[in-house]
Amino acid sequence: MKNIITAILITLALSGCEKVLDLKYKDNKSSLIIEGNITNESGPYFVKLSRSVKLTSTGDYPAVDGALVIISDDAGNTDTLMAKGNGIYQTNTINGIENRTYTLVVRVDNEVYTAHSTMPAFVPFDSIKVETIKVVGDTQYNLIPVYTDPVYKGNNYRFVLTVNDKLINQHFVQQDDVRNGVVNTSRLEINDDDLELKKGDTISMEMQCVDDSVALYYKTLALIGDSGPGGGTTPNNPRNNISNGALGLFSAHTSVYKGVKILF
Amino acid sequence: MYNKTIAISLFFLCSSTLLLAQSKFTVSGTVKQQSSGESLIGVNVVVAEKPTLGVTTNEYGFFSISLPKGHYTFRFSYVGYRQELVPVNLDKDVRLNLNMNDESKLQEVVVKARKENDNLTTATMGTEVLNIKDAAKLPVVFGEKDLVKTIQLMPGVKSNGEGSNGFSVRGGATDQNLILLDEAPVYNASHLLGIFSTFNSDAIKDATIIKGNNPAQFGGRLSSVLDVKMKEGNNKDYHVSGGLGLISSRLTIEGPVQKDKSSFIISGRRTYADLFAKISPDFKDIQLYFYDLNVKANLAVNDRNKLYFSGYFGKDVLGVSKTFGSKWGNATGTLRWNSVLSSKLFSNTSFIYSNYDFNVSFKSDNSETNFNSNIKDLNLKQDFTLYANARNTMRFGFNVIHHTIAPTTAGGTDIITGKKSRKGLENALYLSNSYKASDKFVIDYGLRFSFYHLLDADTAKTYANLEPRLSMNYRLSNTASIKMGYARNTQNLHLMSNSTGGSPTDQWIGNSRIIQPEVADQVSLGFSKNLKNNAYELSTEVYYKTMQHQIDYKDGVDLNTVADVEKVLLFGKGRAYGLEILLKKKKGLLTGWIGYTLSKTERKIDGINDNSWYNAKQDRTHDLSVVGIYTLSPRWTVSGTFIYTTGNAVTFPTGKYVLNDMVIYQYGSRNADRMPATHRLDISFTYERTKHSSWSFGLYNVYGRRNPYSITFKENKDNPKKIDAVQTSLFQWIPSVTYNFNF
Repeated sequence: MKNIITAILITLALSGCEKVLDLKYKDNKSSLIIEGNITNESGPYFVKLSRSVKLTSTGDYPAVDGALVIISDDAGNTDTLMAKGNGIYQTNTINGIENRTYTLVVRVDNEVYTAHSTMPAFVPFDSIKVETIKVVGDTQYNLIPVYTDPVYKGNNYRFVLTVNDKLINQHFVQQDDVRNGVVNTSRLEINDDDLELKKGDTISMEMQCVDDSVALYYKTLALIGDSGPGGGTTPNNPRNNISNGALGLFSAHTSVYKGVKILF
Repeated sequence: MYNKTIAISLFFLCSSTLLLAQSKFTVSGTVKQQSSGESLIGVNVVVAEKPTLGVTTNEYGFFSISLPKGHYTFRFSYVGYRQELVPVNLDKDVRLNLNMNDESKLQEVVVKARKENDNLTTATMGTEVLNIKDAAKLPVVFGEKDLVKTIQLMPGVKSNGEGSNGFSVRGGATDQNLILLDEAPVYNASHLLGIFSTFNSDAIKDATIIKGNNPAQFGGRLSSVLDVKMKEGNNKDYHVSGGLGLISSRLTIEGPVQKDKSSFIISGRRTYADLFAKISPDFKDIQLYFYDLNVKANLAVNDRNKLYFSGYFGKDVLGVSKTFGSKWGNATGTLRWNSVLSSKLFSNTSFIYSNYDFNVSFKSDNSETNFNSNIKDLNLKQDFTLYANARNTMRFGFNVIHHTIAPTTAGGTDIITGKKSRKGLENALYLSNSYKASDKFVIDYGLRFSFYHLLDADTAKTYANLEPRLSMNYRLSNTASIKMGYARNTQNLHLMSNSTGGSPTDQWIGNSRIIQPEVADQVSLGFSKNLKNNAYELSTEVYYKTMQHQIDYKDGVDLNTVADVEKVLLFGKGRAYGLEILLKKKKGLLTGWIGYTLSKTERKIDGINDNSWYNAKQDRTHDLSVVGIYTLSPRWTVSGTFIYTTGNAVTFPTGKYVLNDMVIYQYGSRNADRMPATHRLDISFTYERTKHSSWSFGLYNVYGRRNPYSITFKENKDNPKKIDAVQTSLFQWIPSVTYNFNF
């Protein structure tokens, strides 16, 4: 909704315009970033450790090596990950199984960070529906992931969108708190300031069934991106599932891909 | 608490013993404008023989003064009107109705106190009165004169930003302003997402803003009262007036019902930007307009009783073909009965209805989603004014409001939300007295007892609050005075909004078992000095305010779809302090004012920013406005406004990291950064062609400053490792032409 409102306001203002500013930023506290994923696909799975950098930095993100990384599950399995260098740690034996809760422990520089995530039950991803609407003379495309939400409540879906092999840095979460147990008809709320779909585009979409804390993390990111009237929230670091102040996320999720090409 | 109540009641009792003084006679009556019959509010009525004795007319033009038997001369004065001297032989109670003539040559005065040195003699603090006739000459965006925009040029009142009609008073939030249109609360005072206010200036008589030091008859919001009064209509002749602008037109009809006794006024307005837009095939699917209608009529039942009806109806429509549609609007109705019960006792009884709702719908091939929200009030107010004697004027009464509040519910093809509406009863009893202790010292004191019942069986509960109010004025000399004030205000309705700009979809909710009434305590001190025979007026005030039970939201909350709003709220406190300086020039060819505010406003909310104090988003250190109106010739007037404000407190990212191949921003403390400053110059020329018509030409944002509307952070297209801060601006150079007529 925000996009429509902003577009109308700017149309109304006739002379609305954008420019790049040179802002002074406050000092940044470089934090440990933990990225861990366990999926229902076969392993190995990876944990990546890095550090955040200043917003103005154009260099690389420093990798964190020399850490002890352990993943265990509630079925009694424990796996100490193998350091591959460049901040990447790889599992050896552990398997991603639906409805299991996984615990990640990272020990680095005498600090211990812990995270838990539960892999929800798999929900099939049927197709991607492309909907065409004409707005102010332009053709716009809506993408609707088609899946049937199970009758029980509490399902969270995260979508990762790739257009013409380019990963889109936008966050999409759907939940069943107001539409439970039905075939999904909601579109992804794509911010069209950054992404304009057009005829001929090849769309690839990953659907992840994620737990509540992972959904909240991405939902917060989506709201922060939606600034301006009609949407948005005061930005902050989204609450994550990792203890001891590390940023990032540990996610046990199911994963399934679909693709579609915009034909007309 | 009860000991305090008793102590305060005793205080009232002591002062009311003054009422029992020796037998006196009373002069009472109504003051009106000669040409239109509109009642005049705030006319100063002074006994010429004893200049320290005097009263001012109330909201209905009524006054009453009691004196020992004798011969007196009453002096009626009101800025812009010829002074009247009326001799009275007081040997019985006397009824004195008066018509006053306006002096048009004084009309360039912009914001005027009701008499020349009003600022020195009344105890009222933090109050500004705006006459719509005077606001008309100021430049505004799209040439649509707008009272709320003009109020925002006063110190202590800050606009929420360009293109927004929301405002913040002394560090308060947008929902902490009580906006009344003929006593009816208006829940969303903006049209077109905030570019215009809901107040059609043709139908408005005047507006008063009180910045927290409310008299006891007002309550229900923490920061301010914006009391807007509609015109009553001309009771002598029929008149038609209106205006044609680039994007909207207005038409007003007024006239007598019974000549010299009662009148009506009907005023309508509609924008038509969408009609032009439809000419272009690209825009033919867009719906974008608003309209509003103001109606008022009064009927003199007899010399002592008068009935008024006022109504307002407004609607905004915004949509794009069939895929997106939204409508929102207010409707209010007020039925009032004014009665002069005795020469000393004036009564006003009002039945008030107020309704605000919005409806947003999204439609696609096979689904439909609607969001609805609604707040409906039924309101009974009883107010008495007792003109006890020449030194004491008392006001007392009660107010009962029945709220029905439906929170945002989603509906549609396959949506189920089980939200139900809530009912609440907001009650208040109040008593206040304005006491002229001496010709130098005036004190207004009062007490408001407010209590809110949750009416739903499952949550039944009552919140009660005592709200003491006090303001004092001590006159240091003929040209200077000092003032002191304290007020406690409470608020039982809360606006849920986590959007940055304010949106029609923001929803009101009442107190609940979890949400407690918001409470604010404000202390202020002021100094006023008039210079050069009242040509210049300098007022300064400092204030310190604390706020309790302030509301914020947990992370990741979408207020429109969340099942239970109360579960996502966070609570905390606030504080605000500042210095306000206002220098007005009230006489001469050049009139206007300079207003400056230096202020700070902070919040401390459990669960935000490590529970430490942070800047509220409306915190702005400096706020300057300069307003000038210059009469070039009898026909030409030029006016200009310049504003400068520090940017809002916002949170910019400080760092970044990569997660699953996506760049994510890292943030430090909340609201530690600033938007760039906003500054702008607007000018307007008014040409009075004849007595019956005028043209006004305006240019908004003369030097084309790109003021910040929003800032977003994006990866640079050429170098994705570089992050750009991209600022969006709205209005750069907006010209306007308006033709106004009246017959």
